[in-house]
Amino acid sequence: MKFRRSPPPVKADIGLLLEGTYPFIRGGVSSWVHQMITGLPEYTFALFFLGGDRNHYGEQQYELPANVTHLECHYLMDRQDEARPSPRRGNPEAFASQWELHEGFKSEAPIDPEILHEVFRNLGERGGITREDFLHSQESWQMIDRSYRTYCTEPSFVDYFWTIRTMHAPLFTLARVARNMPRVRVLHSISTGYAGLLGTIASDLHKLPFVISEHGIYTKERKIDLSQAQWIDDPSDQVSENLSDQLGYIRRLWIRFFEALGRLAYQKADPIVSLYQGNRQRQLSDGAAPERTRVIPNGIDPELFREVRESRPQTTPMVLGLIGRVVPIKDIKTFIRAMRPVCETIPEAEGWIVGPEDEDPVYVQECRDLVISLGLQEKVRFLGFRNVSEILPQLGLMVLTSISEALPLVILEAHAAGLPCLATDVGACRELLEGAQPEDQALGVSGAVVPIADPEATAREAIRLLTDHQAWKSAQKAGLERVQRYYTLSSMFDQYRDIYNEALAPLLEEHS
Amino acid sequence: MAGIGFELRRILRRDSFLNLLEAYGLAGIISSGPWVLSVLGVMLIGIISFSFAIAGPEIIQFLVSVTYLMAISLTLSGLFQHVFTRWVADRLYTGDNQLILPNLMGVIWLSTLLSFGLGLVAVFWLLPDTGVAYRLLMLANFVVLCNLWPVTIFLSSMKSYRRIVVIFALGYGLAIVGSISLWQFGLEGLLAGLLAGHSLLFFSFFYTIIRQYPGQTLIRFDFVRRSQIFPALILTGLLFNAAVWADKFIFWFHPDTSQHIIGTLRASVIYDLPIFMAYLAIIPGMAVFLVRMETDFSEAYDRFYNAVRDGDTLARINGFRDDMVIVARNGIYEICKVQGLTVIVLFLWGPELLAAIGISPLYLPLFYIDLVAVSIQLILLAIQNVLFYLDARGINVTLCALFFGSNVVFTLITIDLGASFYGYGFAGATLVSTLAGLALLSRKFDRLEYETFMLQGR
Repeated sequence: MKFRRSPPPVKADIGLLLEGTYPFIRGGVSSWVHQMITGLPEYTFALFFLGGDRNHYGEQQYELPANVTHLECHYLMDRQDEARPSPRRGNPEAFASQWELHEGFKSEAPIDPEILHEVFRNLGERGGITREDFLHSQESWQMIDRSYRTYCTEPSFVDYFWTIRTMHAPLFTLARVARNMPRVRVLHSISTGYAGLLGTIASDLHKLPFVISEHGIYTKERKIDLSQAQWIDDPSDQVSENLSDQLGYIRRLWIRFFEALGRLAYQKADPIVSLYQGNRQRQLSDGAAPERTRVIPNGIDPELFREVRESRPQTTPMVLGLIGRVVPIKDIKTFIRAMRPVCETIPEAEGWIVGPEDEDPVYVQECRDLVISLGLQEKVRFLGFRNVSEILPQLGLMVLTSISEALPLVILEAHAAGLPCLATDVGACRELLEGAQPEDQALGVSGAVVPIADPEATAREAIRLLTDHQAWKSAQKAGLERVQRYYTLSSMFDQYRDIYNEALAPLLEEHS
Repeated sequence: MAGIGFELRRILRRDSFLNLLEAYGLAGIISSGPWVLSVLGVMLIGIISFSFAIAGPEIIQFLVSVTYLMAISLTLSGLFQHVFTRWVADRLYTGDNQLILPNLMGVIWLSTLLSFGLGLVAVFWLLPDTGVAYRLLMLANFVVLCNLWPVTIFLSSMKSYRRIVVIFALGYGLAIVGSISLWQFGLEGLLAGLLAGHSLLFFSFFYTIIRQYPGQTLIRFDFVRRSQIFPALILTGLLFNAAVWADKFIFWFHPDTSQHIIGTLRASVIYDLPIFMAYLAIIPGMAVFLVRMETDFSEAYDRFYNAVRDGDTLARINGFRDDMVIVARNGIYEICKVQGLTVIVLFLWGPELLAAIGISPLYLPLFYIDLVAVSIQLILLAIQNVLFYLDARGINVTLCALFFGSNVVFTLITIDLGASFYGYGFAGATLVSTLAGLALLSRKFDRLEYETFMLQGR
């Protein structure tokens, strides 16, 4: 006989923790999430959407697949209705473990799981630290007072005080969401940050396996945002030695906050998935344990490109194609500059720039002017947005001159369409062109990697690939092979299926 | 309010003994306000009339009638005193100066209505066997006094302080001259003189305020809006005045200590005279209190809150808090010193003083304890003022309730104990409340940063 109250029914197998993306915002991460849910129909998914300001999110952008059984949205910047503040003592032990936690953040060492558990158990609970305790208690004040005196190097106490308040306010919302979460079997967060922390807390409270997949690196992106944020006032300081010193204390406080969120999530999550080796290295340097990290690249379906591949002409067209938006980060100008030496060596060569031009009209005009000043009007064409499948067979070489990329799908698509690539050494490009691990590398080079902003090197490699038929052929073969072997959607689904099954296995055993 | 603070600082900066005297003299007049000055005026009228050999009972009736007018009007306008002062301060802070005058009109209108209504009931029911002229004069005096008190809130904000001094002189001059020239009409004549004096004071101050503050509308009632006022302040004003008068009322109506004077009004001659004389002794302390509050303390207070708002370091914020504590402490010490000296001097001259006014030396022990009691009450006033600055409304209500309760209880006990204990009840009540006030103020200062930051919007 069981006298225990039976636990509520399981709502879904996987709880997906989404910060500011699916299903409300379109973009790379959102389409990946949609692909995952549709591609793994054997699992049910519960979606936990975390947003900032409620007004920034409009209509739902994706129709939820049938295996999504639950969607809840929480907005971290929502104002909390508050009664008039009343004086209160606060729980000294709870604040003592908070102090230890924060000391732990500063020491870079992993946080004692006991402390972490204690902190999460207390967060938002009566007798622990409620939102009111954090905002109004004497213990809380003493901790702020002590931290300020011990660490803050910036004069304005009131700025520090409000930063601490604003920074911590969402944590109570997250703790509530974690506590009231409907039952799921596995937590899967698609970033660190707030979603990662939600996963960390929920996995600790409900003893659930926790998986993280990172597309970009959240902490790094936040660092870039914060170092440029206008809403933080820096005291001007002319004598600082390096950039980190020049960043004001408040700015560094915010950066450290997101670093701490990242470290907590890495400490709790297993596995920690990244898209390519470069990002895995970043995760390692941000505190992820090497044995838990794993690379699962995005994939495409090569079959979709079979027709395109087979429709390629026998002779290689002397056309270099850059498929991407015409914006500075793609460094279109380097492509244009490279076209000049290419055309001098291969007079019939052409350069096509294929992609929407509405984002940065000034930059587009600069590019067009550059074409004219180099006398390439007859050679370089701006085609605008086109169907990639129609363009790919007409190209002889795919070129990517970006100064920043993650894992560009366009390289995978080009390879699947039987086209070698030339790309700058950013993001996953080198892995995609030269192979990630020895077995992959043995397939050969599927194009060429050049330094960023280097038109000469770009031209040199382009000429080599277009004129050396042997090299071109082997690159085509290697590329197709590489995509089919390592970068297919089905292999991505398989790897996630393994992760999910591994996480679900102990639970299912227990169940039976 | 800042007006007087600037003036005082300006005078003090000239740094000569004469300027020092001027500053403290001015502060004495303004801070003591009509309340202490009325006691002085009424006593002067009494003494001078006495020397003109007006019939004894009429003077007593006059003094007692005026005392009731004062007591009840002060308690009634206690309703507005703090709540309206705070309301005005908030409007000055937000820069809504044009709202102040119409709302003062509103206060006066409300106060007139209230005092006229209550006064009408009182003259019908509480003054049997008196003439119509007496009743009408009482009513008129009551309404004027009830309107005079709210207006005096603005005295310390006025820039033309010399005008204030002149108005005071003219007002009480008129009251004294009027009463004496009308003495042949007896009680009614004296009351008419006083009415003329107070009316002159009221209308002159009112005129000065109208000239100083801008205003587009004639009358407004923003000051009764719940969102703009603090009910605790209404209670504080009411309770404090009730507390100050509680022992007197008990003595007036306790059969052992009182006698019938006029209408239903009773008085306690043995108790009243010494305590009213003692109240005159707090003028020096009041002056010190005002100067310290309006100059040093308000500066220290501004420094603290500017440091909080403008983003100073916590160490400096703590430092300014400590400065504020030191200034408050020094202010209280200084009141103690000045008041102590005044009390000693009056102790020494007490017998001669009473003899000169023609009061029996039997009152001497009561006069002594009353001197001590009103001096302690002054310290309580100073503490409460600091607490008002710090916006500790709850503490102030508590203190006033304590003062009121202890005054009632202790006074009843001392009446039972006998004549040689009279006055000790009131003194005990002031002492208990002041000590409690010091303890609460000290705690408030200890928690000031915590409360300032963590309990915002309370």
